[in-house]
Amino acid sequence: MAVEMDTSKIEAFKQELETMESTYSFAKSMYQSNVLQAAAKLMDDEEGLSALYQLAERYEQAGIFQDSPWEDPSKLQPYLVKGSLQAGGLTTISEMLSELRMVAIAKGVYKREGVSEGQAQSFLHEVMALNIDILFPEETEAARIEGEGKEKDRMERLFQFLEEKLSLASISGELVKEISGLIAQRPIMVNRIVKMVNHAEKLLEKDIAESDRKSIQTYVDAIKGRTKKSKNCDTKKYRNKIKNLKEDALKAEAHSFAKTMRETGLVASNHVVLVRYINKQHPQLLAEALDLTNKGKANLEEHLSFVQQLIKAGIHIPLRQSLYGLAKMLDRGVLSSSPVIPGMRRIFELDLHSETRKVLLNSINGNEGITANSILIAGVISVLGQPLGIGQGMNPTCQTARGISLWSLHAPGHLLDLIARAARDGDVDLTFEGQTIHSKDLREGLVDDLHDELDPVSLILVPHLDRIYSELVRRSKFRGDDVHKWVNPAFYGNWVQKGFCGVIDPMTGSVADYPGFVRLFYGTHHPDYNEGYELIYPNPVGIFITNAFGKLLGLHAVSIQRIAKDPSGEIRIYFYNPNNDSSQDWGQGIEPSVEGCNEIPGESSLPFHQFVSRLYAFHYNQYEQGDAYAVEDEIVQQVEKLAKESWGEQHTWVQL
Amino acid sequence: MPRLNQETNSFKFTNQNDRKRLNGRQMGPLRINHERPERGSKVALIGWSVPSIEAMQHMNKPYIVVSHEDFKPYAEQHNIPFFAWDFGKPSHYQEVYERSGDLYAQLVELDVGHAIPIFEETVEWSGALNARLRNDPNVFEHSILFRDKAMMKRRAHIGGLKVGVFEEVENKEEVKRFFRRVNQSLLKNHSQDPDPIHFKALNKAGAAGHRMIFSEEDIESKLTDESFPGLVESHLHGMEISCEVFIHRGEIKFLNITEYVLLGYSSMVPPSAALEHYRPLIVEEVEKLIQAFDIQYGMIHPEFFITDQEEVYFGEVAYRIPGGHIFELIQKVYKFNPFGAHLLCCDPHTTQEELEKYVPKEVEADGHAGSFLVYPRKKTVSRVQIPPEMESHPSFDKHTLYKPTITKFQDTNEGYGNHWGTVFLHGNDSEEISQLLTDYVDYDFYI
Repeated sequence: MAVEMDTSKIEAFKQELETMESTYSFAKSMYQSNVLQAAAKLMDDEEGLSALYQLAERYEQAGIFQDSPWEDPSKLQPYLVKGSLQAGGLTTISEMLSELRMVAIAKGVYKREGVSEGQAQSFLHEVMALNIDILFPEETEAARIEGEGKEKDRMERLFQFLEEKLSLASISGELVKEISGLIAQRPIMVNRIVKMVNHAEKLLEKDIAESDRKSIQTYVDAIKGRTKKSKNCDTKKYRNKIKNLKEDALKAEAHSFAKTMRETGLVASNHVVLVRYINKQHPQLLAEALDLTNKGKANLEEHLSFVQQLIKAGIHIPLRQSLYGLAKMLDRGVLSSSPVIPGMRRIFELDLHSETRKVLLNSINGNEGITANSILIAGVISVLGQPLGIGQGMNPTCQTARGISLWSLHAPGHLLDLIARAARDGDVDLTFEGQTIHSKDLREGLVDDLHDELDPVSLILVPHLDRIYSELVRRSKFRGDDVHKWVNPAFYGNWVQKGFCGVIDPMTGSVADYPGFVRLFYGTHHPDYNEGYELIYPNPVGIFITNAFGKLLGLHAVSIQRIAKDPSGEIRIYFYNPNNDSSQDWGQGIEPSVEGCNEIPGESSLPFHQFVSRLYAFHYNQYEQGDAYAVEDEIVQQVEKLAKESWGEQHTWVQL
Repeated sequence: MPRLNQETNSFKFTNQNDRKRLNGRQMGPLRINHERPERGSKVALIGWSVPSIEAMQHMNKPYIVVSHEDFKPYAEQHNIPFFAWDFGKPSHYQEVYERSGDLYAQLVELDVGHAIPIFEETVEWSGALNARLRNDPNVFEHSILFRDKAMMKRRAHIGGLKVGVFEEVENKEEVKRFFRRVNQSLLKNHSQDPDPIHFKALNKAGAAGHRMIFSEEDIESKLTDESFPGLVESHLHGMEISCEVFIHRGEIKFLNITEYVLLGYSSMVPPSAALEHYRPLIVEEVEKLIQAFDIQYGMIHPEFFITDQEEVYFGEVAYRIPGGHIFELIQKVYKFNPFGAHLLCCDPHTTQEELEKYVPKEVEADGHAGSFLVYPRKKTVSRVQIPPEMESHPSFDKHTLYKPTITKFQDTNEGYGNHWGTVFLHGNDSEEISQLLTDYVDYDFYI
């Protein structure tokens, strides 16, 4: 009986498929919901999924994805899969059919132009690694995986199917790669890392590679804290335990915690318990508990009482990551910059704007007994300690994140002023070409509903800066050149050079004189041609973001931090990418690395020419130009080829 | 001037003279020639509708789509004959006629001989084009009958259909006067609960611009200066139904009755037996309507009220494809393509054989089909949820709900607005379908 039912479902699906196959190309959309609905019914059991997998080529060719986001599999992004799966309705069904199509391609059942077996495999491995929570669902997590009943069952069935067709071992590798790529960048916000580590923990019981197992264990230990005394201790118990410890034992605990924190950038709750305790009772152990460098130790010693105040006010369990920020801040010696201590002290007692207070308190769970000022101080510590760990989160605000990073590095006093203005007055102002612009008077920026998974400083500042940035763009339009030429120096300040060059001709939208663009960049930035001028301040540049297949996805803002030789002697561009993406694959073999090429945590890097091939606009110092003519033709041609065959495919190229 | 011995301006004299003038004079509506002259081989579809284009292609008839240039790339990609035209937002019908000259000239070059409207706003454009193609400006005026609600009701009234009392109004004062006069007639001017009246925009589709006025305060609060000019009408009490009538050579080829299970949300085809029972009565009214409006060709979508006394009142009539996915429901249960039937009926050149092949003679339905329009209810939405018991119900057919592409939803406050998706049902029990069509009005499909 059951078998009969299933064949009838398959027949029903095939019938809808035939109708769609026989219709005109323009009318496919009329039949998509019928086919998707019939497919959904098949997704209710395993045989149904297998049947759909077998029919993948047919349903794609029939037009089920036509004119939809799934039309071109080479443009799909693994990290977007989860969102679509959880979106419900036909979106979920389309997404699942798209995955089954990928499996068919990966298994060689479906030979499809544009995506190779290998590409499909790595896509699916990444999808599985990113959705490991669906792969290993837990009862307690049922609520977290949104989508109830049927949809949730279908999703889980799909991932069982993926597990059957692809190996778990490759997923654990992928997952460790994802986590280590994120950890290498030492972001301020670690929610995503913590989530992934919690899921990865479940892989420990499975048959996976030994090296992966070891890495996963390290991450788990870093989050949970596995010092001698803290094992299996919650924070209350641990607090009582350490009260009875002698200094030697405390020192061992401090050392052990500090080691894992420095290795991973992750802070365990009990580490905070320990630091708060020794801050009161044994402040001489603080340097040990933070594993400070010599410079950090000196900074601590010089400002010990202030640091003790900072710990009391700004280092709390819910905001434990700021402990790592504190260690890095002391290492940077930033407290010795004269405006910093008074600037931070002002925040202790700042009379917060009611809106600011609400936003800050919302960023942690309630009932923690922590004031909004404490949250803001924790945020300030993180931002000053990890200028390259500032992220834009899920918001399209790369420009603003870049600004906060730049000011934290080079103008902490200015940054503290901005924070105080925004947090107290609900306003930030800036003078542009003689006119003052107030953020409170502006309606909207790029983002009207800020996604709130952001560090406290960004939460407060981004809405203001975003509106100001958009206003600057508005005021600079129609001037016959790229708006960033005027916007960037005004927005970021005098650290940005006034020379500007963009690749797109603003009047025609086409790419004009690309070789000239490449030569100018080499002549102003490459040490072999620019007469040895060093980059002093980060250079805010625009890049074309391309996916793993080299297809243009959009524009993005990053900052070039420095240009230097890597351990192999190759000149690389080291840049700050506010999206903190762990696995960046821009296609054509261009994969920014985040570790292993002398990157400072938070930096990404690429060989010089590869970076240039994605560059879209940059600033330069007009008085420090080298010999653009000297750049070898082969280099220019190589860059041009990379550009033309990736983002350039969607642009018109004009020869001058 | 000689004085006559007779009073020429007496009542008797003038009255008798006037009566003589009536003799032998053609009275009543001007009948127009609806035939399509032998010129131009193509039919122009005015408005973009994929199912209509599919039907046209399927019937293998020469055609061209006239629509906004936004559709041009898609049309070119899929080899759909297309002519880009910006209909703009004309402020009055005469402007449409004037502007249509240019479009007409270009379409004639493309061998167009007849125009068929797809949407409410293209009815007058088709009328204007056909008027030019037939060299008869009255054809344009005739199309306005289906657009201007006051003109429409007056014509129905003249034609002997039952309509509510109505007036065109320019301002709130006139609405107030109408409200009082209607209630005076009903002896309800001193009542706590006067009868409501309806305010309608003169030429909007569906429920857009419709306000119910229960009191003089309502006039102040529900209407603004922008609401005018408009139409006010006495309230008709009863069941509201719609029909889709396929007409060729003045004859009803197929008549569907749609039950508005929940106005603005859900429709069912065919209606419940209780309503289907009124078919003979409705057919009679529709025939009157065809006469009154001088309709020879096309598909009309009239709305009627059936009162408790089983009398049928005329609400309004549209000369276009109905909303609410009614055509899809017709297709589901009657097993013919109403989009094709619509095009065939609109074209006077269609032969009887073609019609017979396409449109069923007998009204025999396979169960009942229902559609439920899903609107977002929350201000911000990010995903879709389908009630599990609905999805597993045997009468559940399919839905068309995707993750919304915009996350913020702004209610327009005008009409029911655009729905974001639809749930389709199909089953044998009309009561069960009705129930399912009403149960989920307050359910958040988009969250």
